[in-house]
Amino acid sequence: MEDGKKGLDIFGLIKSVLFTDFVKGLVITLGYNVSRSITLRYPDTEKWIPYRRWRGMHTLNKDANGRELCVACELCSRACPTQCITVIPMEDATGRGIADRVAKVWKVDLVRCLFCGFCEDACPTTAVRLGREYELACHDLSCTVKEREGLLKPQPVPESFEGGVVVGARFVRTPGGISVVADLSKSRKRAL
Amino acid sequence: MPTLDLILEVILLTVKVAVLTQIIFALPMPLTWLERKIAGHIQVRLGPWRVGPHGILQPFADAIKLLFKEDIVPDKADKILFKIAPLIAMVPAFAVFAAIPLGDTFKIPVIGAEVKLYLSDMNVGALYILAIGGLSVYGMILGGWASNSKYALLGGLRCSAQMISYEIAVSFAVIGVVMLSNSLNLLEIVKSQGGSFLSWNFLYLPVGPVWFAIFLIGSVAEINRIPFDLSEDEGTLSSGYHTEYSGMRFSFFMLAEYVAMVTVSILSVIFFFGGWNAPFAFLSFIPPIAWFMGKVCFFIYFFMWVRFTLPRYRYDQLMKIGWKILIPLSLVNILITGLMLI
Repeated sequence: MEDGKKGLDIFGLIKSVLFTDFVKGLVITLGYNVSRSITLRYPDTEKWIPYRRWRGMHTLNKDANGRELCVACELCSRACPTQCITVIPMEDATGRGIADRVAKVWKVDLVRCLFCGFCEDACPTTAVRLGREYELACHDLSCTVKEREGLLKPQPVPESFEGGVVVGARFVRTPGGISVVADLSKSRKRAL
Repeated sequence: MPTLDLILEVILLTVKVAVLTQIIFALPMPLTWLERKIAGHIQVRLGPWRVGPHGILQPFADAIKLLFKEDIVPDKADKILFKIAPLIAMVPAFAVFAAIPLGDTFKIPVIGAEVKLYLSDMNVGALYILAIGGLSVYGMILGGWASNSKYALLGGLRCSAQMISYEIAVSFAVIGVVMLSNSLNLLEIVKSQGGSFLSWNFLYLPVGPVWFAIFLIGSVAEINRIPFDLSEDEGTLSSGYHTEYSGMRFSFFMLAEYVAMVTVSILSVIFFFGGWNAPFAFLSFIPPIAWFMGKVCFFIYFFMWVRFTLPRYRYDQLMKIGWKILIPLSLVNILITGLMLI
């Protein structure tokens, strides 16, 4: 082993004279230079749509006839480890829900919520689900508590859309705030 | 009594100086953008993107930011030296261009007048460039010294040691070129490489490529760019000699650095790659200035490309390369060149 070190390394000398390692490095960086960037152009033109398993903001679901699935059993608020869900039940015979007991108030405090999904598991009627909405930042505390009315609205990304792709998007500025509107017709896989 | 011709000549020269200075002043703007773009793309990112299309207005945003920054002079700094050091670094970088030709003559298409694309046809051009180019190290040393900061002082000292070591190798490489082209005049050096690419100094085998390698390595060290930017090694010296500088004074140092990079690119083209000569005779319908700019752009890209390819050398390695490899190699190469020219 020692002898090999003492002898003149002709091959290594030629290599260093011809800068082969340097040229190899240059070729690699040139390859990266001309390759496509992995940067996601969010929020200008692209947006990441998560998989269905993603646990984002809560949604309250309705059945096929448009009746609320929530029966205000309060199991979600019991299951919640941070006590962020408030449910106040009431009687209702007008057919708003699938049963005659519906939620008068169903609200979730997203500041306390840790998106564990226990409420989802606890729900006997699959009314509560954690959706794919992840842009939850806002300027004050007013938007951190989500009420039933807002959560009942249909999701911007429908359940039928598989997700796990980058879709086209548009950055919208309104006096009420900013949002990134996804265009689900154009989609591509993430680079890495 | 000066004749009309002389007055016209002086006016033309003044205009040329003004235009060239403006161009050089504006040049770092696209170069910073380009450097950040290339950095981004080599690292599979995008680089500047938000300010203007493809971030093209980013340099303007940076310039405005630098203009509005507070110009801080440290309390215990040597105030006068601290203030003039950026200028001392910047002026030689500009002064070098007095001897650098950007082409032979250029015929303006409509009026048919011929404009010389150089400021002065200096017969000691190569010498002048080496001498003035070597002066810019004073700005860096003084900047480092006057800051009254350990980091800046160490950066300045490293910078001076590095410049002195590599100046010798670069000068030897220029001597080699002068031997090959038989002139110190840059126009003559370019003329001697006319014809096809086979007569370029780079392809004067076997010594041409060696001279080029010495020149390139030495120049990269002299303009303080990675892999030899030991004087602003942020790992050990936070930012080297311009640690204490902010705002416009800092940008003068950056300006000097970018202009030096352009200078070295131009000199590589003039000394080794035939200047504005086309590589093939049948391609000479393309104007010489286009060839020249193309080659210079390649070298500018090359310097940025190298910056994001190689890591920084250790300081002792830097000195070892300079003193133990480049200088002996250039001495041997002078001998071989001389023997070949007999």
